[in-house]
Amino acid sequence: MSETSVFEPKIVAYVCNWCTYLGADLAGTTRLEYPPNVRIIRLPCTGRIDFNLLVKGFEIGADAVLVSGCHPGDCHYTAGNYHARRRWILFRELLDTLGFDLRRIHFTWISAAEGKKWQQMVTEITEETRKLGPYTDLYANGPAPALPALDCASGEARTLDAEPELREYSRNLLAEGTVKVVVGYGAHGPVIVTRPEDAERLVWNNRCRPNLTAYLKRKEIKALGKPAVVVKPCDEKSLVVLERESQIDRNEIHVIGMACEGVGEPKCASCEDRTPRDADKSFGAAVASATPASAQPNRLAALMAMTSRERMAFWSAQFERCVKCFACRQVCPMCYCERCIVDKSRPITIDPASSTKGNFAWQIARAFHLAGRCVGCGECSRACPAGIDLGLLNIALHKAGSEHFGYEPGADALGKPLIGAFSLQDQEDFIH
Amino acid sequence: MSEIISQAALRALAAEWISSARQVFGPTAINPHTVAYSPLNSADALLLEGFVHPANSIKEVVFPRHEVLYGYRIEGNSVELLDDHAPLPEQIVIAARPCDAAALPILDRVFNWDFADEFYNRRRAATTVITLACNTADESCFCTSVGLGPDSERGSDVLLFDLGDQFYEVRCLTEKGHALFRGKTETADRTAMAVSAPPKKFDPQVIRSFVIEHFEDAFWKDHALACVGCGICAYTCPTCHCFDIVDAGPSAGNARVRTWDSCQFPIFTAHASGHNPRASQSSRQRQRILHKFAIYPDKFGEILCTGCGNCTRNCPEGLGVLSLAMEIDRG
Repeated sequence: MSETSVFEPKIVAYVCNWCTYLGADLAGTTRLEYPPNVRIIRLPCTGRIDFNLLVKGFEIGADAVLVSGCHPGDCHYTAGNYHARRRWILFRELLDTLGFDLRRIHFTWISAAEGKKWQQMVTEITEETRKLGPYTDLYANGPAPALPALDCASGEARTLDAEPELREYSRNLLAEGTVKVVVGYGAHGPVIVTRPEDAERLVWNNRCRPNLTAYLKRKEIKALGKPAVVVKPCDEKSLVVLERESQIDRNEIHVIGMACEGVGEPKCASCEDRTPRDADKSFGAAVASATPASAQPNRLAALMAMTSRERMAFWSAQFERCVKCFACRQVCPMCYCERCIVDKSRPITIDPASSTKGNFAWQIARAFHLAGRCVGCGECSRACPAGIDLGLLNIALHKAGSEHFGYEPGADALGKPLIGAFSLQDQEDFIH
Repeated sequence: MSEIISQAALRALAAEWISSARQVFGPTAINPHTVAYSPLNSADALLLEGFVHPANSIKEVVFPRHEVLYGYRIEGNSVELLDDHAPLPEQIVIAARPCDAAALPILDRVFNWDFADEFYNRRRAATTVITLACNTADESCFCTSVGLGPDSERGSDVLLFDLGDQFYEVRCLTEKGHALFRGKTETADRTAMAVSAPPKKFDPQVIRSFVIEHFEDAFWKDHALACVGCGICAYTCPTCHCFDIVDAGPSAGNARVRTWDSCQFPIFTAHASGHNPRASQSSRQRQRILHKFAIYPDKFGEILCTGCGNCTRNCPEGLGVLSLAMEIDRG
């Protein structure tokens, strides 16, 4: 063998058992020649592909990945490929936001009869990847422009007028036995009040930052009995998603809504939801919505203006600092799984090390699990001790859901979920 | 008489260390709201004032978040172990806080108690710590409550004092420290003014007695209700040192890896049977206090806490050792 190594691209193909796999088989039995650079992984259905697998393909050295399944209308399981199509549209946007090279990610529909198409696709992808060269940019460091800074208000908390009424109301709720526990804000953070006399500990000011609906998932809180929860209008949307996902019974939760003038978080500058909509009891005078003039700089637009290599360098620098404390998960109202995928060890799907690579894997999983579910409360960014703006990934997916499917998380308790539903009309321009 | 160095000379020295292939760490502003100890590529990034405590600690310099213990290669039925640890570069921490430096002797004892941890020890031996005494404190600081102070020498090789006019007094405490500053300082006849110490906020003996005598007290349950169970307190703590060991598969390079772990995660104590002896957040929070104020002191004669306040400062819900300890101390 020659010592000089010629670059041979490695391509991992995740294919559906019923169509593309048989198409590839047909290519073989009909003696069609195609480059041997592709490694086929046979899966029951494209609708069942965990998208971390694509990322894993790159991690173990793939220079390009291919996902291929049955043509629309031709799914062995009726609709698996429609589910896959919708997820690909969103997942591709997430990978783009993170700076993955989209030229190395391919999607096709290839039926059992299309051995010829398989031959063509594999040949094309191999040649294209050969031109691109090895994927050395994966998780690579490098220069990246800084994003415009967010304005986070500091300063002392200022007590708001509704505080005495909130205390009085909460005291009565507990005294009358309407609820067993009030989850509210205290002087230094959330307080969980179970005795009427402790209602004095509740505060309401312009620094009440946490989204308290995250406590509704905690078994220690559930064990106390029917809760009342103090929500800001932005937090209230979490309840809509939790209800739709059957995580809460809205009748078993007493919602105390607070009109909000902003709590000093970056999101507050452009907030349009200042008055609670669906609370059992509301306090505070209506506050005008923020004017767009005071909006924060558009960090997502600045990020997407970078090259994909710069974006990846940007995120690598961010994720290098992630310590995997999982505060982003713990403060999120939507992360309610009893056992998180990252805690599963048989098999290890997500590298448990807080290395740049392991952190990419974790943040990809976290962001994608929240697609169409995140209501943008920004708790993940607020909690992160490493100062990583994790919410930016959620904002990117929110934008993708909105642009491709007109989807608004937390708007409708009865509507279909973004992922888990599909439409025959879902549009994309990248599946060949 | 004292030895002093100008800020410009200190930065120049840092730049020299960086360019001499030494791994230099120091506080940097990672964004307008967050300061963290980070590897320095340039002395300009070093932040010497305008913050109280970085959001992380210096423990990762000697106890990295994840560390390959050894690699392995599986071929057929044979397993080959690969030990290819490259020599470590010399590591220098500049402008560590005294509460962070004081954590190193505490960690030394844990990692050399019944077994000398070679991975920890090699990093520790390669590390020199230059500490900058504090001239500010915030409401989360409580070093004076655990027997330390803003000018504690413990764990430091060099202690710097900000003289307030772009000069620092340099006190070299060890031979390692002298080696770095020899010939780099000038002699002056002024010494640092008194540093500002946070007030004493609780008595650790009271905490110790309470956690032992009131192990089943409803206090623990009440106070854990607001805890969301993340690992921020343990991971940003300079003294917390628990770890897990995992065999990372092919995508992580086939290696046995040590990673940080936190007693605040339910999975930390989960048994294979499904039983979990610390099934509630209150038992996990109590464990952290117990370890810091009773278990470690019983074994090693000192508290497993340096009062840096990071657990309280970083907690998204405003909890942490300080708020619990003050509550206990008040009775």
